[in-house]
Amino acid sequence: MKKIVVQTIGLSKTFKGPLPVHAVQSVDLTIEDDEFTAIVGPSGSGKTTLLNMIGGLDRPTSGSVSVNGLDLNKLSDHELTNFRLKHIGFVFQSFNLIPVLTARENAEFILLLQKYPRIEREQRVLQLLNEVGLQDKVDSRPSQLSGGQQQRVAVVRALASKPDFVIADEPTANLDSKSASNLLDIMERLNREEGITFIFSTHDQRVIDRARRVITLVDGKIASDERR
Amino acid sequence: MILKIAWRNIWRNSMRSIVVIASVSLGLLAAIFVTSFYKGVTVQKVNDVIKLEMSHLQIHIPGFRDDYLPADYLNNAQEIKRQIQNKYNVKAIALRSIAMGMLSSPTKGGAVKIIGVDPVEERKTTTLYTYIKEGSYFEGGVKHPVVVSRKQADKYNLSLKSKVVVTVQDVDGEIVSGAFRVVGIFETDNGMYDEANVLVVQTDLNQLLSIPDRSNEIAVLFEDHDDVNSIADELQLQYPSLEVKSWMDLSTGMRFLVEAMDTYMVVIVGIVLLALLFGIINTMLMSVLERTREIGMLISIGMSNIRVFSMIVIETIILAVTGGPLGLLFSWLTVKYFSEHGIDLGPFRETYMDLGFAPVIYPVLEPHDFYMVAIMVVLMAIIAALFPAMKALKLKPSESLRKI
Ligand SMILES: Nc1ncnc2c1ncn2[C@@H]1O[C@H](COP(=O)(O)OP(=O)(O)O)[C@@H](O)[C@H]1O
Ligand SMILES: [Mg+2]
Repeated sequence: MKKIVVQTIGLSKTFKGPLPVHAVQSVDLTIEDDEFTAIVGPSGSGKTTLLNMIGGLDRPTSGSVSVNGLDLNKLSDHELTNFRLKHIGFVFQSFNLIPVLTARENAEFILLLQKYPRIEREQRVLQLLNEVGLQDKVDSRPSQLSGGQQQRVAVVRALASKPDFVIADEPTANLDSKSASNLLDIMERLNREEGITFIFSTHDQRVIDRARRVITLVDGKIASDERR
Repeated sequence: MILKIAWRNIWRNSMRSIVVIASVSLGLLAAIFVTSFYKGVTVQKVNDVIKLEMSHLQIHIPGFRDDYLPADYLNNAQEIKRQIQNKYNVKAIALRSIAMGMLSSPTKGGAVKIIGVDPVEERKTTTLYTYIKEGSYFEGGVKHPVVVSRKQADKYNLSLKSKVVVTVQDVDGEIVSGAFRVVGIFETDNGMYDEANVLVVQTDLNQLLSIPDRSNEIAVLFEDHDDVNSIADELQLQYPSLEVKSWMDLSTGMRFLVEAMDTYMVVIVGIVLLALLFGIINTMLMSVLERTREIGMLISIGMSNIRVFSMIVIETIILAVTGGPLGLLFSWLTVKYFSEHGIDLGPFRETYMDLGFAPVIYPVLEPHDFYMVAIMVVLMAIIAALFPAMKALKLKPSESLRKI
């Protein structure tokens, strides 16, 4: 049996208000090492809310998330930030990069926060930027890059410090289909060749077709969970 | 890296940053210039007071300066003069007799202060002789000479060689008069001084007052300006029955004027910096608000509170402090220019002179003023930084990422 990376038990999130929103309702989910999992579902079905709790960006109303056996509820805010830095890679839908830094500097950012030595940082980042086909763009600012190139820089940043897994919330939502499929190629290859665990959300059928496990959310509950 | 990000962030909205930097430098320029102007006025006033009126310190019988009674003379003025000359680095010492009295011309009479001087010693002690506009400073061998101001000459309708009568109370309280002849007319920048004083030769006045060989006042000018206050204290201890006062306490308001000088600068610069403070806080709050998503992203990927906080603090401090050296440089250049060329008060000349101030101001700025302003700017920057940085910390990663 493979190592369990993420496990949620009765995970729920309710947004309070005049009409409380049960965005995620008692989700029990196990994600193993090396998985390439898509969380799918219509807009408002709770994908982002679920990924935020798994990634330690938000705290559950009830239930728990553990990453490699560590219960995230037990961490203070400060410890949680540090945990994200060291163990989880993030790729967001947009606004991933720091506009005033170059592609290389953005990609290095997490290594830098973790105080990796300079030589190691440069080697790792240049190699990864190379792998995603951005060798010519290392010194470009985000504004000089296309949306797809920006997302690739974000993937490199997420991977650079070898996190336990990478969370990508609708990484292709702002991309044309060619860039989207190119990004998926890269993620797939990194998953296959380097064993990176990816959890990503999407509502794009072509992206869904590339996933090896598809978890469908409806109204914050798991409606189906199929492996292929 | 955080420094690099902060620096580049400042130039993201370069117009906005330039406005802030320019307002800091102009604000400092204005504040420092006003201060240096005030300092210039003060320094000039101090010089004026010392050189023209008070010298560095004076010795009297206690209370003499209230009533100017001829009987309040110093018994051993010559002896005291010698002792001071032996002990300290003295430039000049003048002995004087002083009386309040009436000056009358055929057309008019009025109250004046009559100062009896030894012309030779007095020339070394006070600069009045340099302000003689007509005639001379007791030269030419005229009997019973008097030197009056232009103002008095106009008021009493006097010119050179005019005869005036001086009426005083002598040592026994008798009213006595003497005739004097105008040998010189002076005009200083200090209208109040000009209105009040006339000068005669001490022996003439002593004769009138019936206090031969006595003096009411010893005025001392030292080579060095700095130790005057402590020397005054020392002499006071040495001559407990006399009153020894430095120039600071002799001229009304001088001590306050001098001691308030630095406070005044802190207040003016402080007010300007306070105004700038709000501008900078506002700019940085806007900048943080505009970057909500970006800062949310940074916190999400694991940038700690401390680092986010430092990033904003460093950014604010760079923004606030960059204008500082510029402002100091501009101020230095401006003050340097005017300290050489002077600022002519033009239409306000007369008013200023009547108040006893010089009509052309030479602004003064000292090195320690620069340090003080620099420290204040840095303090202001730190205070300005805290508020936007705290705002950035309050961002919740999951919520700020959702904002579009
Ligand atoms: N901060 C919030 N406050 C209130 N309701 C929220 C908040 N965030 C999300 N929701 C609601 O929770 C539900 C799930 O949202 P989300 O997780 O963003 O879905 P998805 O990512 O699948 O589009 C939606 O109905 C949304 O309106
Ligand atoms: Mg979403």
